[in-house]
Amino acid sequence: MFKLKPKVICVTGGKGGTGKTLVAVNLAVMFKNQGYKVLLIDGDVENPNTFLLLNAKLKNKTEVLYFLPKIIEEKCTMCGLCAENCETHALLHIKNSYPIPISTVCSGCKLCYKICPTNAIDPDSKVIGWTYTASAFNIDLMLGELKPTEARSAVIVKKLMGNLEYIIKTEPKKYDIIILDTAPGAHCDVEELISGADLVIPVTEPTKFGKLDLLRIIELINLLKKKYKVIVNRSSLLGYKEKFLRELEEKGIEILGDIPLDEEIVSSYCQGIPLMEETSKFDRNGVGYKSFEIIFDNLKKWGDFSK
Amino acid sequence: MGGFLKVKKIGVISGKGGVGKTSLVASLASIAYKDRNISLMILDCDVDAPNLALILPPISDEDVETQDTFTTKKARFFEEKCVNCKQCYDDHFCEFSALNWNEKDNIPFIDYLACEGCGACRVLCPEDAFEINPVKSGEIITYETKVGFPLIYGKTKLGSTTSGLLVSEVKQHAADLKEFDTTNLILIDGPPGIGCPVIATISGLDYIVAITEPTPSGLHDLSRAIEMINQFNIPFGIVINKSDLKSASQKELYLFIEKANYEILGRIKFDLSIPEAMSYAKPVVDYAPESVASQAINKIYIKLKHILSKL
Repeated sequence: MFKLKPKVICVTGGKGGTGKTLVAVNLAVMFKNQGYKVLLIDGDVENPNTFLLLNAKLKNKTEVLYFLPKIIEEKCTMCGLCAENCETHALLHIKNSYPIPISTVCSGCKLCYKICPTNAIDPDSKVIGWTYTASAFNIDLMLGELKPTEARSAVIVKKLMGNLEYIIKTEPKKYDIIILDTAPGAHCDVEELISGADLVIPVTEPTKFGKLDLLRIIELINLLKKKYKVIVNRSSLLGYKEKFLRELEEKGIEILGDIPLDEEIVSSYCQGIPLMEETSKFDRNGVGYKSFEIIFDNLKKWGDFSK
Repeated sequence: MGGFLKVKKIGVISGKGGVGKTSLVASLASIAYKDRNISLMILDCDVDAPNLALILPPISDEDVETQDTFTTKKARFFEEKCVNCKQCYDDHFCEFSALNWNEKDNIPFIDYLACEGCGACRVLCPEDAFEINPVKSGEIITYETKVGFPLIYGKTKLGSTTSGLLVSEVKQHAADLKEFDTTNLILIDGPPGIGCPVIATISGLDYIVAITEPTPSGLHDLSRAIEMINQFNIPFGIVINKSDLKSASQKELYLFIEKANYEILGRIKFDLSIPEAMSYAKPVVDYAPESVASQAINKIYIKLKHILSKL
């Protein structure tokens, strides 16, 4: 793992649809409003949505390639060594015929290429997704997209984090704040992003599902030894806020803030204009707006955000 | 309408998370169970965040069967065999950066989370100092629900990088149960996204229900899910949740569906009885049978059954 110069905040949550992207985008906007240089990275590569909330046009489409063995028939002696040693059975070898690569189960370990005694395997590659950059409301955006039908989303997330590492190495002063938006779940993609963060913000909702999935993502955050504070979204839903917050506090879970149900949030979400954008026309006294201001104050007290 | 001649497997997926997969599955399950022509089995394949068990709890805790799964493989290093040649590190045996070098002791060490268990180190090390072993990757939980049908779900061990394999294992486990032989409908609650665990979920299904909401993200993620489904040639229908939401995406979603002539299974208007039912951990069709949402889901069930009977 690399040591990061700018502060890296990871927004995650376990359960889907709790408001991760909403929070990530509006945190980015609030930092930007105060003059911070912000990079937002959308690491939900299966379904990247940050650009929709920012109404941003994607640029610099770059292919993400992944190893795929190609059999050079003229060189292959059909010995079967590659198939024998392939742990994921991604090479099908029938006696007296050339091995057939099965790309869907190939782990990309390149062992076949490394051990073939006659160099009959060519390290070919296939496109499994893309990365993009974009810019909107003075926020830079970096986004990954998994090609539908491909499975190796973690490779694209790693690519994004590699790009970030490169930026920090070559232009350490370019950004003050990096915000990472994760996929739902607690799998390797999410793990990779949490691993690269200084502070983690899981977003949940006051339901039994929200709580169950929150406790699971916290388990993962603890496993990775990261600091976290929770945001409770849709907190006014059914009047469970107090009970829910109390239950979390009893478990020693710290709360960064809560966001009540608010028509203006839905409206900003659907229009692609962030609620907290300084040039927007949303109600500065609205419940959603106020709650984001409180969250931002609490966040600044929690972390050291010197520029 | 009678039952089906052959077992039908259907899955509910969405692309975007939190649009109502689990709520819909729980209600469809409850309706199907009351249908005397249907013999039902339910699977929760959202192995990262399995939630269905909250709404469909077991009759008794004693009847819950938990089985460990070993779908993940990890490398193990044997120091006594190592001759400190450093070839494994210098020649990059590992493509996943899981093989690092401990300068102090002059031996390799394995980053357990990064290791994919591919076996490259085992095969390439001239001293056979590495082994690949299956390790615990999660659990498969099986029980009879209070309502009466079997529920099978998987839960990953955190950090085990196994979601897709565990999903396949859950499906296999269900197929091996003796109840499977008398089942004629298998209903699967899928994970969000379109990646590895979703692909594992839909493989081999007869029909897919894709649920969405009329927001820009809902539409964007639905279109990506459909792109993936089409690659597998599985027929599907769309359910629009929160269908009366005030959003510019309403028209776009409508045009998207219209243009491609996709099947709409039904629309569920925003209805507070859904979150209320969830807070009592009950399917909405049981909690508020007369509600707008319950009526819509009943209609979806009838339409779904009709489609399945023709497959």
